Amino acid sequence: MASVDYREAGHLPNLRPDGQPGPPAELPRQRNGVTPQMRGRYPKYNVLEQADHWDPVTREMVFERARTVPPIRFFTAPEALTLGIFCDLVLAQDSEPKIPVLNMVDAKLFAGELDGFRYAELPDDRETWRRVAVGLDAAARQHGAADFVNATEDVRERVVDALAKGTLHGEVWDTLEPAHVWKVVTRAMLSAFYSHPWAWNEIGFGGPAYPRGYARIGAGQRESWEGAEAFERDPVKDTEQRGDQEAARP
Amino acid sequence: MSRRHELRTLLRGAIRPPDNDSAFLLDVHRRAVPRERMERYDDSYPVDLLIVGAGAGGATLAQRLARRGWKVVVLESGPFWDPDEDWVSDEAGSHRLYWTEERIIGGSDPVELGKNNCGHGVGGSMVHYAGYCPRFHPSDFEVRTRDGVGEDWPISYEDLKPHYERLELELPVAGEYWPWGDPHRYPHTAHPIAGGADVAREGARKLGIEMRVGPVGITNGAFGNRPHCIYRGFCLQGCKVNAKASPLVTHIPDAIEHGAEIRADSMAMDIEIDGSSGRVTGVHYMNDGRERFQRAEAVAVAGYSIETPRLLLNSISRRFPHGLANNNDQVGRCVMVQGAPQVAGRFPDEMRMYKAPPPEISSEQFYETDERRGFARGFSIQTVGPLPIEHAQHVLGHGHWGQALREYMRDYNHWYTLGILSELLPLPDNRVTVVPSVTDANGIPVARMDYSQCENDRKNIAYAKQTLHNIFEAGGAQDVLATDRYAHLVGGCRMGSDPDQSVVDADHRAWEVPNLYIADGSVMPTQGSANPALTIMALASRLAERLDLKRDGARGERKRRRPRRPQRRPAPTRAGAG
Repeated sequence: MASVDYREAGHLPNLRPDGQPGPPAELPRQRNGVTPQMRGRYPKYNVLEQADHWDPVTREMVFERARTVPPIRFFTAPEALTLGIFCDLVLAQDSEPKIPVLNMVDAKLFAGELDGFRYAELPDDRETWRRVAVGLDAAARQHGAADFVNATEDVRERVVDALAKGTLHGEVWDTLEPAHVWKVVTRAMLSAFYSHPWAWNEIGFGGPAYPRGYARIGAGQRESWEGAEAFERDPVKDTEQRGDQEAARP
Repeated sequence: MSRRHELRTLLRGAIRPPDNDSAFLLDVHRRAVPRERMERYDDSYPVDLLIVGAGAGGATLAQRLARRGWKVVVLESGPFWDPDEDWVSDEAGSHRLYWTEERIIGGSDPVELGKNNCGHGVGGSMVHYAGYCPRFHPSDFEVRTRDGVGEDWPISYEDLKPHYERLELELPVAGEYWPWGDPHRYPHTAHPIAGGADVAREGARKLGIEMRVGPVGITNGAFGNRPHCIYRGFCLQGCKVNAKASPLVTHIPDAIEHGAEIRADSMAMDIEIDGSSGRVTGVHYMNDGRERFQRAEAVAVAGYSIETPRLLLNSISRRFPHGLANNNDQVGRCVMVQGAPQVAGRFPDEMRMYKAPPPEISSEQFYETDERRGFARGFSIQTVGPLPIEHAQHVLGHGHWGQALREYMRDYNHWYTLGILSELLPLPDNRVTVVPSVTDANGIPVARMDYSQCENDRKNIAYAKQTLHNIFEAGGAQDVLATDRYAHLVGGCRMGSDPDQSVVDADHRAWEVPNLYIADGSVMPTQGSANPALTIMALASRLAERLDLKRDGARGERKRRRPRRPQRRPAPTRAGAG
């Protein structure tokens, strides 16, 4: 198993020959709290343990977000199936536990919470999302699949990549500008995913910070309660090297 | 250096603004603005000035005129915020701070609105601005004369300078000695900076680019009943601490104390004009599901660059069939944004850029035209400090999704981000219009903003972006990610000296309507590469002075109304009272 020193940057996609990261299965397992897919860079860090230091309004909001999976009320069942796979692909959620991104997006659209603008050639975000479901099927059919849900992993990835690059065309995509659609859907997805405390655990983000604030703001510094980075992808070696006896104990 | 200057330098934060007690009127134990004793005016009472919008322009204007005894009402479409109850230390949860009603964006380079540049509620978009408070440069007021592009202002830097100085004391602004533009000092000393800013500054230094700490509207030390900053990094989500300046804490308390009414949750729909006199008589607005009409002797619109043109264009009358003050077809034109590409750099040490205020250091070394760069005007360099959602959008904007996106996000703590503000030029076809077929909940047509860049704009942005790449490279970054975006809004109802080419005159008065004023960033003919907040406030502060002079002149005497009640002595505080 490859050893990784995060002072080096060789793990970053731009610096790797294929432009992709190493296999996510080699990442450290989360040992405290939850991260999406239970992998992360900060195996012992659980931001929710800091909740006593948050103001009550923020605390209530974040806990509500962490414990609820909003029911699908805006999308139809077939739409939800297609778009759920789409969201998982864009956010690389390939196994449980998953942040319920589509449910969170659905709740926002159902409540009519929009972002204050829409591109002139697009309908409002609610209708845009529905058309994306139709458009993903159309694009999958161009690759010979019955629809997006029944397409192979390879076809799905090619469809999403074309959407990201703005190169989809035909049917729905002749009336929707793919580059703008990509911005609309990813804005909602990223806002859902990276608002979730599980994602904060994964990336080592400090989370809500009022009223405590921060005292150690220099390079390489962290607060006493902030998570330490794993420096070895093998959890056993990692804990041994850190002298972390408690975590190393079977 | 003069003795006065020397003394000011020594006293720094101990100097109290002479005519604004806002910081002392706030409560020590809660963040909400005390308004139990706020004056209430009847709709039928013709107030001296009715202001639409309680942001940087409207709130400053209200405070200044209320102090001079004017009876002022401010209509604000959004809520009167209570930072303790309404705001959260959370990115996604701050959605309510933005203007989220429908608007349409078009043109070849559409500008995303909402959280990017549009506020809602008392305090306006300064509630969620980063906090940078630079002045404009003297050159900004004469770019046509100097550089042959854009437009000259009908006023000069010297007209705004006393107001800049006054506002820097009121916000207060913290920063190092400022060598660019008209060199000046700041009342509060510079804040400490985080590791990322230090690395960026060092990278810049190696290239001969100087970066200085500040200028930010964030208290460094207690200021009245506003506490010290706690470096929690959530400036863009509304400051729950009350350390960051926004009109909600810098001008609204004093305005209320002097008898202004801030009427929140009141959406202006239509300005009424008297057909025979050609004067405006008041504003129709929606409050609590009921349509109301506030009478006024004069109206000042301060709804910012989208809503101000929208309100004028939706105020149709026989005299103004194409919108109020728009018979010359100028309303909504020359709306501007700044090019704001961001470049993030990766470093061996953890930078944890979520800490410390996003605005830390900046450089105005590239602000002025340099012909060798191949374009007119320039840009400034600033720090950005994106939280996870914002940084994820940055990574995605660079072109990564799926596993690559997740991997870059797991690496979040090793990154630091710099941003650009490129001066983009005013173009008449960049315009705010209204769309009769699309209406809001009140049945009022929504705004559409069309935006396209010109060649000079593209060259400026590309050059500026390359400069950030160079800085990170010199600073030892192991990888960089870049993304394009825009920041800020100004223009749309510009001031000028030619009635055919502008909407208002040098005193913000509509050329076509004698008692209608515009008091926000939409009057700016150009936008420099400085963040506009301080200049919007300075313009409003100057406007108040001009209005008061005019009224006194008209009455033939300088008769000041006393404040409606004896002014409370602010409670003594341990620090800050000086």
